[in-house]
Amino acid sequence: MNNEKYDEIIKKVIKEDDISKNVLVAFLSGGLIGVFGEFLANIFDNFMNTNDSYLAVFIVLVVIGSIFTGFGFFDKVLSICKCGLIVPSIGFANSMTSSAMDNNKEGFVRGIGSNIFKLTGSIILYGVVFGIIFGFIRSVI
Amino acid sequence: MTYLLSYLYCGVVCAISQYVIEKTKLTPGHINTGLVVIGCILSGFKIYDKIIDIFHAGACVPILNFGYLLVSGASEGYLKYGVIGLFKGILVNASAGLSIAICMAFIISIFFKVKH
Repeated sequence: MNNEKYDEIIKKVIKEDDISKNVLVAFLSGGLIGVFGEFLANIFDNFMNTNDSYLAVFIVLVVIGSIFTGFGFFDKVLSICKCGLIVPSIGFANSMTSSAMDNNKEGFVRGIGSNIFKLTGSIILYGVVFGIIFGFIRSVI
Repeated sequence: MTYLLSYLYCGVVCAISQYVIEKTKLTPGHINTGLVVIGCILSGFKIYDKIIDIFHAGACVPILNFGYLLVSGASEGYLKYGVIGLFKGILVNASAGLSIAICMAFIISIFFKVKH
């Protein structure tokens, strides 16, 4: 069997994911989390000032993301919603918790300690590097 | 009305990143890192402040907000202490979210095991 025939068979067997459907699902689910954040911010506004309430929304989403990852039903929702859950800060907590959980058998230092920043390390690294550059630009402008 | 605006903002950000993932071979890790860098750039030119003014809490849900927290902290430090303030202040505003994420990840990883 030559390569062209092989490619044809592959195309028949594996149907390409419907892009527009995935984008729509990401839009709907991501929007729902946004509404949930707005709802939380309205509640927190009663106790604290606006900036702190936005921070509290970030914290609550991170806590929810970690706990859901722990119980294991985050991955099932993630396979449906995809970017709808990755882009909100829930996804940040999920990638940190899952990389720590995957390696907790190897012990506290070599397992959890060295693997906890495996996925989120790049976010923190480039966040800090670009944060310093653009923090300078922001205060000079 | 604010609920609708939050819905639209988060939905559009998620939809764009999903489209980018489908069209290119980038992984979710690339997307998250890229969004934080974009958030840094937007807040460097004070565009993200206007986005927060318009979309309220909806603008604080995507990971873009992490970049804003970093840049605003660095900028506040620079205005207070000079150049050393950039390094003093960079993690100040983001510290709450980052510390909670680390603590929760540690606690969860102790008590829960991976299910297959």
